Amino acid sequence: MACGPSPTPGGYSVTPTEPLARPAAGQAAVRPPLPVKLVIAGGFGVGKTTAVGSISEIEPLTTEAAITEVAAGVDDLSHTPRKTTTTVAMDFGCITIDPTLKLYLFGTPGQERFGFMWDDIVEGAVGGLVIVDTRRLDDCYAAVDYFEHRQIPFAVAVNAFDGKVEHSLDEVRWALDVSEGVPVLVFDARERGSVRDALLVVLEQALARSGG
Amino acid sequence: MADGQSPHGPGEEPLAPAGPVGPAPAVRPFLVTAGRVAGAGEAASGRAMPVETQLVATTEGIDALGRLSFEQHDIVAACRVPQSIAEIAARLRLHLNVVRVLAEDLRSVGQLSVHVPDSGVTHDASVLRRVIDGLRAIPDSRGVLRDSD
Repeated sequence: MACGPSPTPGGYSVTPTEPLARPAAGQAAVRPPLPVKLVIAGGFGVGKTTAVGSISEIEPLTTEAAITEVAAGVDDLSHTPRKTTTTVAMDFGCITIDPTLKLYLFGTPGQERFGFMWDDIVEGAVGGLVIVDTRRLDDCYAAVDYFEHRQIPFAVAVNAFDGKVEHSLDEVRWALDVSEGVPVLVFDARERGSVRDALLVVLEQALARSGG
Repeated sequence: MADGQSPHGPGEEPLAPAGPVGPAPAVRPFLVTAGRVAGAGEAASGRAMPVETQLVATTEGIDALGRLSFEQHDIVAACRVPQSIAEIAARLRLHLNVVRVLAEDLRSVGQLSVHVPDSGVTHDASVLRRVIDGLRAIPDSRGVLRDSD
């Protein structure tokens, strides 16, 4: 599956910074872990931060990511779509697998108006988990579309608020129109084991895609 | 459909849905980068460093800590333990792209080591299996392993 320049030991590519590398200078004092990234997407208030917090070894951190929005609506017919830059809050956490490998979980806002924002965050992600609140299915269409178009392995996880799901998984699958191969499951964002199992479903998807 | 005023569920995010978070900082974010929005390496490659890119202080950087100031100092000091760009941005309350620019600067003078993950490697089956095995070892809230039932 490796593509592009040959990876160096430890899984790092020296691009894009190679052209400026100075020999013998700038050796890291400590070898960093290889970061593997999963993206957790979904509408506002659907439980992304809760899910990250349930399993992350650190309290979820928040940073502001600059995103480029392409204005929707009337401007769609224009040849020069109006682009604006917006700042959104992005929450994330991590899990140290071992000293050489670390899993990062990035939660991204998923409303449709952020349709073009994800590239900066998603670039290089091994997979995605789309969290769904069945009372507000509309909020996750953009995330589902995004992962499908970018061919990023993903699963749809219905967050069981108060242990209840208002629609069956078949109904959710039908409403979201996800392809057969995309797992749709129920989980509880507050439960560490439940979040772990949802992430494992995504990783199994990624593994299958990798030919492993 | 939600009625727009449904009570906050247990999984509700505490943050505002969009827009700037909190009051604007007194110092414009890119002042610390002298107005630059891209580091030299990024300009050359046309791609931003991924948010999980690892930053590690070099011995030169640690030796230079006494001479560094402000954000540069804070970044090198924090990166004595490897950190992702996103972690540095969050912990030091800097804009992600400001961290990218400053990391590139610090790298170019040998004070910071920047490790951009190779997506061919992170997507490799052997790496994914290790992540899967590591995750399976995490007990749930009641201390039950996934494979124990």
